[in-house]
Amino acid sequence: MLGNPVLGNPVLGNPVLGNPVLGNIVSAPFFLRGELAEGRDAVHRSRDLGVAFATPGIDLDRAVHPRNQLPPLLNVPLAEIIDFLVETGRRLRDPGNPFVRECVDRMALTHVLPRAVLEEQTRSAAAYLDRRLLRTVVEQNFPDPRALDEWVPRQDFTGRKSFVRAFAPRLIHVLPGNSPGVAVKSIAQGAMVKAVNLFKMSSSDPFTTVAVLRTMAGIDPGHAIVRSMSAVYWRGGDAAVERALYRPQYFDKIVAWGGGDAIGNVIRYLGPGFELVSFDPKTSISMVGREAVLSDEALDLAAGLAAADVMVLNQEACVASRFIFVEADQEQADRFCERLHARIAEKAAASGDARPLGMDLREQVEMLVMLDDEFRVWGKTDGKGLVIRSAEPVDFHPVNKTANVVRVDSLDDAIRYVNVATQTVGFYPHQRMPDYRDRLASCGAQRIVRLGEAGPSTIGNPHDAMYPLHRFVHWMAHEDGAGPAAGALLGDTV
Amino acid sequence: MSSAIDKLMGLAAAEYRFDYSAAELREAQVAALDERFHERKYRIKLLGHRAREAGTAEIRRREDMVPLLFPHTVYKSYQESFLTEERWDRLGKWLGTVSPYPISPVETSGISDIDDWIERLRANGHYVSCSSGTTGKSAMLPASERDMDWSRTDTVNVFSWGSGVRPARDRRMMGLAPTAAVPKNLVIGAAQQAAFCDPAKERFRLPVPPITVGSLTKMIVLRKKIADGTALPGELAEYERTAKERQEALDQAMIASAEALVRYRDEKLFIGGLWNALYQVAKIVRGMGYSAKDFHPDNCIYVGGGLKRAQLPPDYKEFVHQTFNIPASRDFQNYSMQELNSGMPKCQRGGRYHVPPWLVPFILDEEGQTLLPHEAGEVEGRAAFYDLSLDGRWGGIITGDKISLDLGPCACGSKGASVRDNIVRYADLLAGDDKIGCAGTVDAYVRGLS
Repeated sequence: MLGNPVLGNPVLGNPVLGNPVLGNIVSAPFFLRGELAEGRDAVHRSRDLGVAFATPGIDLDRAVHPRNQLPPLLNVPLAEIIDFLVETGRRLRDPGNPFVRECVDRMALTHVLPRAVLEEQTRSAAAYLDRRLLRTVVEQNFPDPRALDEWVPRQDFTGRKSFVRAFAPRLIHVLPGNSPGVAVKSIAQGAMVKAVNLFKMSSSDPFTTVAVLRTMAGIDPGHAIVRSMSAVYWRGGDAAVERALYRPQYFDKIVAWGGGDAIGNVIRYLGPGFELVSFDPKTSISMVGREAVLSDEALDLAAGLAAADVMVLNQEACVASRFIFVEADQEQADRFCERLHARIAEKAAASGDARPLGMDLREQVEMLVMLDDEFRVWGKTDGKGLVIRSAEPVDFHPVNKTANVVRVDSLDDAIRYVNVATQTVGFYPHQRMPDYRDRLASCGAQRIVRLGEAGPSTIGNPHDAMYPLHRFVHWMAHEDGAGPAAGALLGDTV
Repeated sequence: MSSAIDKLMGLAAAEYRFDYSAAELREAQVAALDERFHERKYRIKLLGHRAREAGTAEIRRREDMVPLLFPHTVYKSYQESFLTEERWDRLGKWLGTVSPYPISPVETSGISDIDDWIERLRANGHYVSCSSGTTGKSAMLPASERDMDWSRTDTVNVFSWGSGVRPARDRRMMGLAPTAAVPKNLVIGAAQQAAFCDPAKERFRLPVPPITVGSLTKMIVLRKKIADGTALPGELAEYERTAKERQEALDQAMIASAEALVRYRDEKLFIGGLWNALYQVAKIVRGMGYSAKDFHPDNCIYVGGGLKRAQLPPDYKEFVHQTFNIPASRDFQNYSMQELNSGMPKCQRGGRYHVPPWLVPFILDEEGQTLLPHEAGEVEGRAAFYDLSLDGRWGGIITGDKISLDLGPCACGSKGASVRDNIVRYADLLAGDDKIGCAGTVDAYVRGLS
């Protein structure tokens, strides 16, 4: 058993004071291959709200599935797995689900987003567990989804025969904490590729994954899907855990979200047989063409659409726009900013989320207010919506309902600000998208959408420039000998 | 007119300056804060803005000052492109928002780099120092001639109080620090030399070219180019080559320093440096076969800055002290920062950093927004100070440090407020935290420049 002792843990100050569960640190249980693990062996701290939570120690041996045992889901038909996931979705949406209710209660203490937003997120996360959606995801990721269920026979033009299987992998998922949707999605994807899954939860949400898994155990505690899932927390970078677990003998791939320290820690352990599938940290932007400032109606429309993209998940998500390039003169750009600010403020007020901006960001913004000949600011740093107009992107990362409108003479001039960290580009008017998509892709962008549609995507489309499920599986070939003509053409092996 | 500020600053050289209890100082300090506020509110643009936002008309209690303290990051709040694109007029305008003295537009034609710009400002009485952050932005701190004068006196008083070394001009100065050649550092070095060192004995300087603000910003500019995708591989290879050469020159300089120390080992030395360099040189000296027994028994050592994330063995301090025969009673440490003008020397008996009367300490919550209740005893939180001695910028700073401030008397006998020797940066406490999300910036895609 590993786990930091409560006393020796380097928590900052007194994490319990000023928190709604005064003196009563909230518990975050683990889930290990079908079984709940409760305990208060270690106290950790959620960075955002400065709240502490207690977890059991990690039983490392139970977190891995020995290679001499087949993955439990291997021969469970995909159709049955999808049935199970659909039922899970139904139960997650049930207002009486005790695990979800408890989870939201606990999460509200450690999360930057307000309770109502969290409830809605958990409910909408369950929308992913839809039969047609799940089938489509599989069909888009695999040219022949049968490979998940069976050894699919094929023969090449030389007559050589083989069977190919999308074999069940062993996966570690390093989950982000900014969206409960990712937890549900990762569980579903891990189940559909029949993986043995270990979910490393984040300090800002050490609850959702376990709540979903407990809901699943409520359907059938002995089901292979439940026995294929573990969810635990350790502080990212904790070598005592990671040095032991991050090995090809235990796992094939590590599926990680985020960048910086989170990825830096992981990279040290990569090597032959232990591969990284990275969902990179991304910034999304918008490009608004001159057409938007030609009439009042168009201006209103574009400002509304841009505000919708800025406010996806209250701007906590990677698809949420942060920089809006507007093809206009300064006076037109300012009119756009004014309306954009009004629309962001409306949405901010409706969300009930009014966290003021962090100290650093506040300073930077206030400084721009001082430099008023070059920058203009609409709104305040109170977290109720803020728009900054500048001649080039500001050098801080706009968060918490903040949009930076960058005035350009031509959208061509905005291309140079697109880089390898750019994910979604929202475009207005959409008729101009084909002129830009090649250049955007070449610079590193991954997705171009109509302005206002940063959130939705065509089901099963690539994410982060890849088909993730296709990369998760262990592609296994069973060579079945050559037909009569094969040897003559190619020889036996290459 | 004898103001509260004059009264408190008048204690600068008083031997008993750390003997005033917090309660005794309280009234005068609040009055001094109010004086400074009225004097500066129309002169520092950002302060005026803060005061209007907070609705502050006067300082009647220490709490009133909290919304007016500037986070240390204020001095990094310029747009990086002002620097990378050499827009000196913009940088000047930005500086003008935090300076109480108008930054009159300097002639910007013919300025070849930031060092040039800083030099022209200096000619106009503005002394801009720059923190030597190697990643991200440097802080740019304006200061005045009066600040330079203050630093000259304060650094001598602080060192003398903390180390027990009298300014007797009887030592040879051994400067081993590869520090940035910014006005404050230069002034401090010169003042120490004048006070503690024999004018007949030439000062040893680390034989490397001075680290200028320009050389520090080159790295920042390159980093930005990498992020933008405009840096070409040849440029990166060239940078790596220069960095390697610079490191080799530094390694050579360390050897030269060790040889100089051995050469002057019979003399009474004033050794100055940063822990990392001091440790490297001490290792070379040991390797040459010299140690404590070979050095003068009354040597002293002035160390600036913390570890700056250098990886040293746990006994690095003892190792350095023992190598150069620094007596235990000469163990000098000082808590200060570029953002402040004054130091807080550590006492020998209590092992605590002492806050002088003209430096008003505030312990805030971690977010730096609320003053923690503190009438007696020790309280831990985010350190903030108002340095009444600051003239060329606003004296109120919220630091990045977590400290424990005690209002009770120290074991050394001083009755004034003191800081426990367990100071940490909040940034270091949070480093490696696993808060991850799908949203992120291009910073995650820029591999470090070493």
